[in-house]
Amino acid sequence: MKRLVYINDDSRRYSYCDNRISNTKYTLWNFFPKNLWEQFRRFMNQYFLLIACLQLWSRITPVSPVTTWGPLIIIFIVSASKEAWDDYNRYLSDKKANERNVWVVKDGVRRQIKAQDIHVGDIVCLHENDEIPCDLVLIGTSDPQGICYIETSALDGETDLKTRIVPPISANMSVEQLEKVKGIVECPNPDNDIRRFDANMRLFLPSVDNEKCPLTINNTLLQSCYLRYTEWACGVAVYTGNETKSGMSRGTAEPKLTAADAMIDKLTIAIFMLQIVVVLVLGYFGNIWKHTKGLKQWYLMYPAEGPWYGFLVIPLRFELLCSIMIPISIKVTLDLAKGVYAKFIDWDEQMFDWETNTPAHSANTAISEDLGQVEYILSDKTGTLTENRMIFKRCCINNIMYGNDNGDALKDARLLNAVSSNDPDIVKFLMVMALCNTVVPVKSNDDTVSYKAQSQDEEALVNAASNLNMMLISKDSSTAEICFNESKFKYELLDVLEFTSDRKRMSVVVKEGQTGKILLLSKGADEAILPRVYPGQQKQRYLEAVEMYSQLGLRTLCLGWRDLEEDEYKEWSKNFQEASCSLENRESKIAEVCDSLERDLHILGVTAIEDRLQDGVPETIKLLRNAGINVWMLTGDKQNTAIQIGRLCNLITSEPNSQLLSISGKTEQDILRSLERALLITKNTCETKDLAFVLDGWALEILQKHSKESFTRLAMLSKTAICCRMTPLQKAQLVAILKSVGYLTLAIGDGGNDVRMIQEANIGVGISGREGLQAARAADYSIGKFKFLKRLILIHGRYSYNRTAFISQYSFYKSLLICFIQILFAFLSGFSGTSLFNSISLMAYNVFYTSLPVMTIIFDKDISETTVLQYPQILLHSQAGRLLNPTTFCGWFGRSLYHALVIFFITICAYADEKSEMQELSMVALSGCIWLQAFVVMMDSNSFTSPQIILIWGNFVAFYMINLILSAVPSLQLYTIMFRLCGQPSYWITMALTVAVAMGPVMAFRYFRNLYWPSPINILQQIEQSNGSIQPSRNVESALKPARTNLTNLLTGTRGSRGSSYQPLLSDSAESTR
Amino acid sequence: MDPFEMQDNSKNSNKPKYSKFTQQELPACKPLLTPAIVISAFLLVGIIFIPVGLASLSASQEIVELIDRYDTTCVPMADKVGYIQDSKTDKSCIRTLTVPKHMKSPIQIYYQIGDFYQNHRRYVKSRSDKQLRYKNAAHFTKDCEPEGYTADGVPIVPCGLIAWSLFNDTYTISVNKKAIGVNKKDIAWQSDKNKKFGSDVYPRNFQNGNLIGGAKLNESIPLSEQEDLIVWMRTAALPTFRKLYGRIETDIMANDQLTVVIQNNYNTYSFGGSKALVLSTTSWIGGKNNFIGVAYLIVGGLCLFLALVFVVLYMFKPRNLGDLSFLSWNRNTLDCPN
Repeated sequence: MKRLVYINDDSRRYSYCDNRISNTKYTLWNFFPKNLWEQFRRFMNQYFLLIACLQLWSRITPVSPVTTWGPLIIIFIVSASKEAWDDYNRYLSDKKANERNVWVVKDGVRRQIKAQDIHVGDIVCLHENDEIPCDLVLIGTSDPQGICYIETSALDGETDLKTRIVPPISANMSVEQLEKVKGIVECPNPDNDIRRFDANMRLFLPSVDNEKCPLTINNTLLQSCYLRYTEWACGVAVYTGNETKSGMSRGTAEPKLTAADAMIDKLTIAIFMLQIVVVLVLGYFGNIWKHTKGLKQWYLMYPAEGPWYGFLVIPLRFELLCSIMIPISIKVTLDLAKGVYAKFIDWDEQMFDWETNTPAHSANTAISEDLGQVEYILSDKTGTLTENRMIFKRCCINNIMYGNDNGDALKDARLLNAVSSNDPDIVKFLMVMALCNTVVPVKSNDDTVSYKAQSQDEEALVNAASNLNMMLISKDSSTAEICFNESKFKYELLDVLEFTSDRKRMSVVVKEGQTGKILLLSKGADEAILPRVYPGQQKQRYLEAVEMYSQLGLRTLCLGWRDLEEDEYKEWSKNFQEASCSLENRESKIAEVCDSLERDLHILGVTAIEDRLQDGVPETIKLLRNAGINVWMLTGDKQNTAIQIGRLCNLITSEPNSQLLSISGKTEQDILRSLERALLITKNTCETKDLAFVLDGWALEILQKHSKESFTRLAMLSKTAICCRMTPLQKAQLVAILKSVGYLTLAIGDGGNDVRMIQEANIGVGISGREGLQAARAADYSIGKFKFLKRLILIHGRYSYNRTAFISQYSFYKSLLICFIQILFAFLSGFSGTSLFNSISLMAYNVFYTSLPVMTIIFDKDISETTVLQYPQILLHSQAGRLLNPTTFCGWFGRSLYHALVIFFITICAYADEKSEMQELSMVALSGCIWLQAFVVMMDSNSFTSPQIILIWGNFVAFYMINLILSAVPSLQLYTIMFRLCGQPSYWITMALTVAVAMGPVMAFRYFRNLYWPSPINILQQIEQSNGSIQPSRNVESALKPARTNLTNLLTGTRGSRGSSYQPLLSDSAESTR
Repeated sequence: MDPFEMQDNSKNSNKPKYSKFTQQELPACKPLLTPAIVISAFLLVGIIFIPVGLASLSASQEIVELIDRYDTTCVPMADKVGYIQDSKTDKSCIRTLTVPKHMKSPIQIYYQIGDFYQNHRRYVKSRSDKQLRYKNAAHFTKDCEPEGYTADGVPIVPCGLIAWSLFNDTYTISVNKKAIGVNKKDIAWQSDKNKKFGSDVYPRNFQNGNLIGGAKLNESIPLSEQEDLIVWMRTAALPTFRKLYGRIETDIMANDQLTVVIQNNYNTYSFGGSKALVLSTTSWIGGKNNFIGVAYLIVGGLCLFLALVFVVLYMFKPRNLGDLSFLSWNRNTLDCPN
């Protein structure tokens, strides 16, 4: 499918949409229905809607419909307002962008219009530093050569400048001509590929040249980029509004469900089942009672003949009574809490990166708990573990290795001497370093030259060359000037054979200014260059150099060149042009043509670039591994380099304690055999020994095809793996393998090649680094440095998990509590489905009385941050899901049943006989619930900060205030009830009794457990308490040593201990550790 | 705000603003369940609960309560239901009671009914608060079915099953053969009389149907003065309940002979319920109810006992809190996988 754009043709300008950008999800009109529809897609909401509708049937409803409609509507309003607010902000920012003024040419006249009024085919004029309003095909710039620079960071996050060239067909047109130009651009339909634009353009009069001219991405100015260092530029709008490349690549990510959420859903279903059982049993009893006893109760006046559905009435009534068993507010409460966790991450000062001025950011606010349960971290290497700041360290030229003694070739006297003596090999080597790249030299005011480069390696090479007196002074689309030892040389840049990850090399074709000789200069990975040498060249020495450098953890590149004959070049150039113009399969065609030129190379030498480890990486990895997290490194780099980096950053320890299992081989059989062997060794080795396997992309491909199961088993057994030569897809596949066996994975990376794995993993973390922000944008969390990962996981993840575990189970507790009381009351009210509590109390219970205190848990910290970082093993506790699983839930369930029994029996005994007035008795029971829930929150909080205390007891006071106010309204059932109760000494005495009986055993049980069967958390709390706040001072350190070893034992026994010390009560609980 | 946008603007630092709140560093106290805290908490509860329990129990014990279940004796053995449903027979029944202890005025007279489900959903809903309160709201009988309208379709005031089944036994009490007055004023809550039952609402068409439920009402007295009805309409939450019948405002001495003439009208026989007459003095704790006192004593005693157990345990099996040598959760041996 093609799109035809008629340049500057008013009659056809309305065939495509205008340039109005819209990121909003709703419009004013569809907000209500669409939002309702979205909300009702949740099962819970459907359930509550059904309950609410049933309540409208007055025959069966035990309480006023308000009890469900009220909370339901409040919850809907809360979620809807959040959506509306977000959408409104999006609308505002859209509006700002849409109403920006831009200059366009209309009817041959320059006019200023709003950005939203641009149409396809308009000619848009931009000035320096303007934001590009829509996707344009460049047709003219202020630069005589027809280039302009743009900054694309908003699009792909790359901060370097990119060159854009006016297509030759419109080059050299004057401003007047440009304003009148007419023509057709033939381009593909809108897509989201920001690296591809395979189109062509034809201009009509006044241009004479009527040929088709190919267009590439290099001839475009894409929306949301900025024009830099160029006075003006103008272009033809080809895609507008939401059809631009940046508009098409905006998408809404699928919401991720955390492990904790999945567990909550499971528990909800279990409770739902329980509810059905309770309803059936009580309904059965109800009908029995009605027929045996009810008909004799003359004052009830049961009609002898009921309607046909009579037997359904009582069960349905109980269904409505028990609907509160599932807390209607849990979703809202959890969403709010999760929002706060995310904010805490954004706010965290200690995760702020000074160097890049980036705070941590959580783009996905819903999955913080998962951070606390991470089991596998899959990390990229370059830019994630390393700084991605390339420094030229060593080189091997003409079989001589430079930089061996001091580790820095730039200071190697032999090299410096060779440079000053104009050694021809060295000069050529430096020339390739300076010319064979896509670096843009930018001259600043004081005549110094700085380099803007897309690739860090290229920048390092150019900088190193200039340090060795080979300076790249200037460069434009067709010429480059270098300066060597004070003399300048001009080169004509004929073609650039671009780098792709498949080709793993790049070349340029240049023509020497003075001699007119045509040269091919190439650089690339050893395996991409060395096979292309001319027959007979000695490669051995270079292979050794590559081997040695990668042993040192350095990145290597091979440089080469060859002379081109004029004819040969011309012939090739034609093919190249053709390939570049093709609309289909352009990339592979170009690769094929390039391949034909890049052969018979003379190898000049090997460069070695160091990429230093980021600050704090080894410590962080050690900490994370101590926390029981398995760390895998996935990289596109060479095996040796990868292993070396792995050693440096504590990923693999030295020989006696660890063993590297290499899965490799020349044939498929070899690879499969090595896999079997690795699996055997892994199975038979005690877990105290660190085992790591190493494999490369090719081996993974084979394994995927032939032995996926054994590989998966190996993956489950290995704590460490180094996977090199991985393509972006393979990285994602590895994540998928681990996910498929139920592990919680976190992928961290910084570059565009990590995006797929970041999106695939349960949690994606992006480093907002030097390779741009692509990864950070796709990720759920973005951080400035790898070392912040430890805070993200150990502090934020762990606290979030703990807090969510409490909030969710507590929500069930409080709902079950009041529901059990209702059920118990059924036994005293003839199973007739009378509600003990009045409608107002029931509604307010879930929404007001109990929602605030539980929120205080978002401030709770069980143990301090320093303790967690000191004993990272404690993460195993949350990783294994010890705080939220069927067992703990049974604890809460039992507690709510016990508390319900206590409240109910104390209430009916204390308020028996003449006091058993319905309203009073129900209020006593409700007060009991409120007292207990305040004490339960107190008991389960680990720390008390002022907001916690204010909220818990403020809520308590608010309960009395609200009920006293309600008691002053004569039309309510509650009228005067609370005043009467508060005046009775027996009311207060009853409350105290309830609390003592309900909380006493809980406290005693806690105490026994803390003292005699303490959990690791308890022990650490006790350590904290006994040492004051833990500072890693020396004497404390020594005192803590035994703990360390014990905790380490725990760590090494992770897998084993998970099974043995965690005894599930429900059959499906094995899943809960996942 | 998107942090990415600000990236290049290095003059404006993106550093999050520091505050103790945002950094989660609010000063916090972290109480632990240490032996000292727990033992003293249990001790404290025990020390407070036992005196309160004693006080409640003695208050309850001081109350003199006289219960006389009369439903079984005030009816012929055969055909109880037929007897009670026959409106023509004289159903008076004389009970003689001896007062065991001095009873100080005011003495509350209650009737106690057992196995009567005032809390049944069919029953508890069957009333119209609007109708009781407002003169012109007689037609609000939607909830009162099946006692909303008479057979002629005229609204019943007060409507509903609760009012219809109003208790109608009466007691005439004499002490030592000398009749004493039973004060039936102010037995209902003042708030009900003022705000819930209208002073300008009079009973209409009440108990006019074929089925007579309970008591009839004097159509010339407004609802706000029909205190028996008001008391009855405060439904009880439990199937056995007492409702105030009246007060005796003179003291009754110990060993005095009480003669009560009961008009045994109310039908509890068809559903096997019980009826009793209760005379009781009052105190600060309300009526006679030993439950709170006993419960307090038990809880207080248990707390003291637990505190003692904790102390003993702590002495014989001392555990150093935070002592790392007993990480018992780590005892499992490390096996090689498979």
